[in-house]
Amino acid sequence: MEPVISLRHMRKTFGTTVALDGLDLEVAPGEVHGYLGPNGAGKSVTIRILLGLLRRDSGEARLFGADPWPNAVELHRRLAYVPGDVSLWPNLSGGEAIDVLASLRGGIDRRRRNELVERFELDPRKKAATYSKGNRQKVALVAGLASEAELLILDEPTSGLDPLMESVFQECILEKKAEGRTVLLSSHILAEVEKLCDRLTIIRLGRAVEKGTLAELRHITSTSYVVETERPISGLDTIPGVRSIHCDGRSTSFEADAAAVGPAFNAVHAAGVRSLFGQPPTLEQLFLRHYEAELNGTKPGAAR
Amino acid sequence: MTGATGGFTGTARLLHLALRRDRVRIAVWAASIAGLVGVSAASVHGLYGTAQQKMEYVQVTRGNAAMIVQSGPGYGLDHPTTGAIFMNETAIWTIVLVAVFGILMTTRHTRLEEETARSELVRSAPVGRYAGATGGLLAVLVAQVTVAIVTVLTVVGFGYGPVGAIAFGTALVVAGSAFSAVTLVAAQVAASSRTASGLGLTVLGIAFAIRAYGDVAVPWLSWLSPIHWAQAVRAFAGEQWLVLILPIALTGVLLPAAASLAEHRDFGGGLLDPRPGRAEAAPTRYPLLRLAAGLLRGSIIGWGIGIAAGAFFLGVVADQVEQMAADNPAMSGILSVAGSGSITDTFLATALLIVGLLVAGFAISAALRMHTEEAAGRVDPLLATPVGRARWAGSHLAVTMGALVGLMAIGGLAAGLGAALVLNDPSRILGMLGGGITMAAGVAVLGGIAFLVCTAAPRLALLAWVPMMLAAFLSMFGRSLDLASWLMDLSPYQHVPALPAAQFDLVPVLLLTLTTGGLILVGLAVLPHRDVGRT
Repeated sequence: MEPVISLRHMRKTFGTTVALDGLDLEVAPGEVHGYLGPNGAGKSVTIRILLGLLRRDSGEARLFGADPWPNAVELHRRLAYVPGDVSLWPNLSGGEAIDVLASLRGGIDRRRRNELVERFELDPRKKAATYSKGNRQKVALVAGLASEAELLILDEPTSGLDPLMESVFQECILEKKAEGRTVLLSSHILAEVEKLCDRLTIIRLGRAVEKGTLAELRHITSTSYVVETERPISGLDTIPGVRSIHCDGRSTSFEADAAAVGPAFNAVHAAGVRSLFGQPPTLEQLFLRHYEAELNGTKPGAAR
Repeated sequence: MTGATGGFTGTARLLHLALRRDRVRIAVWAASIAGLVGVSAASVHGLYGTAQQKMEYVQVTRGNAAMIVQSGPGYGLDHPTTGAIFMNETAIWTIVLVAVFGILMTTRHTRLEEETARSELVRSAPVGRYAGATGGLLAVLVAQVTVAIVTVLTVVGFGYGPVGAIAFGTALVVAGSAFSAVTLVAAQVAASSRTASGLGLTVLGIAFAIRAYGDVAVPWLSWLSPIHWAQAVRAFAGEQWLVLILPIALTGVLLPAAASLAEHRDFGGGLLDPRPGRAEAAPTRYPLLRLAAGLLRGSIIGWGIGIAAGAFFLGVVADQVEQMAADNPAMSGILSVAGSGSITDTFLATALLIVGLLVAGFAISAALRMHTEEAAGRVDPLLATPVGRARWAGSHLAVTMGALVGLMAIGGLAAGLGAALVLNDPSRILGMLGGGITMAAGVAVLGGIAFLVCTAAPRLALLAWVPMMLAAFLSMFGRSLDLASWLMDLSPYQHVPALPAAQFDLVPVLLLTLTTGGLILVGLAVLPHRDVGRT
């Protein structure tokens, strides 16, 4: 099946700043694709190239099989966009802003719009100038989610939302997924990506450094554990793939690669487990791995 | 941090920050104003060197209502010196420019800081409640003093006496500060920086209209206007330093008033609280047009009221013109050279020119909103819908141009109404309405340039003001400075038939309209080829 989004060797510079440096990205129809990266990695630039707002310097971009720069208007009939830093017209109410965006897209399902306004607990009568950041974000989310677009392009869509609204957002995305729609979700909140995304791409410095399912990515990095044991753990430091061991009385913290988890826990078990706390790799750790690789003089990803 | 001075803690640092942010802005304003004054100083020096030339100048300007509206009561023209003539030519517009500078800078450093929540960050530091506003206001004062010093040095450099120059410079600072203080009060009342600037500029406009009417017809009325106070210092015409007490006293009253208003409002809020809006947008087939109209509505209403009031004032003065000409026969001969119509017609044509310059101010600021919207990131979501760039820009342009023609019509109508009342001649209404709409053809060129700048090179958006400044300068000073005709022809106003003093001529109006159309087409042609969106 033809990918919905396909970027190859994408390059974009602003003066001397290189924003995208040979980026590849592919999103298949019907998948929720996580697009992760630290601040300034080039996520928003990628999205704005996809929207035909920015012109790429070189590389190939295909959205629904067409070049987004000359075909922006036609392609926009099939997508909805939610920016991460929503700026609204200060003299319009939130409800009016939703309807303006919807009417440009050719109309809106009023029942669905009103339902979303309620689910997100948005007061549509307040002037945009008086909204908090989270409420401005809700306006953009309602406008995007109420549309019937085949593709949702979301650029850090939950920044500023409270945890309750964050979970409403996740429900909405899962509904879209069930309807078979495609979602590109740019984010740096790993928990959100973990819950929603089928596959993900990580970019750093304008380049894709990892791609695959989350399980695949998890596999290549280590998980942190903190355990409390009755006796000191013996032999932990001899297990290959266990690192960063810190002992503090009965409490021990360490990191273990996926392959080392079994042997490590045999050793922990032997010491009498009192409590155990495990933390899956955070986005930060996924990235640190690349920084470490770079510091060691090898190319990112080569350590795999 | 209690104690009497706690409210001002951190003022010095914030002043430093404000000056650091605005050093380029201040330098550009100082250089522009001093440059304008310098050009005027040089040419007055050259043009009115002999006693004969001075007397001729006085004969033309004395009792000429159009000149009085533009330049003031004419202090020192009984025994004209080069200095007095220079002041008559330059003072009022310099005062207005310094006041506009003060108004914009004051909102920028007070209400805009609050609106963008930057001052929230600042206020969370150990910084007093008044420190932000005080630091900002001091920065404006430093800027105005800078402008004044550069101006004084320029004037003295051209060989004028230092006492008059210093009187002029001091008047600029003191009157400018009074308008800064007015704006500070406005910034407490209004919750948005645009409204605050609008209120400040409205007060300035009213002050100008009051003194214009007062100088022409009712001298005591002028004393209600801070612009007149600055002129009444009589630089180069027997300085009256004590007059400066008036603007200083006004500032002294307004600053505590602003502080007390600030006590009664929330941070980020104003005294005029925003009302809740509609829960749903009213259905429309043209959402982009409506969006642009909504954006510009406040601005259109504000400028409309100001222009209607100012134009009406100018119209009402029209009956004084004949009377003055009767007292001063020398004038009628010279003015009839300028236009083929009567003195009243020439005056009313000048009134339409002034309205045209004001409407250009609206048109350029309205066109530049396109850039503001784009830079703020509000265009990205619009263009992410199936809306082409040309449709977005075209909608904004359509509203701008429509409002431009409407405002010119309102200005012409109001001036015509005023003139019709005092001249007892109802035909003036339609004549001036037609003149106003004709003038729109010239104003539209400046609007078209602003549109082209926004579509082609949004980073240079502020340059859109340059052609208007040039046109204003040429219209106001071109004739008295005897500038070359090719230079004069750079101003679009020069090509508009000067109704009602001249006959209507379709050819120049068509050419101006074609020029505007060409600028717009180029703008629409380049827009698809650049990056758009948040900067």
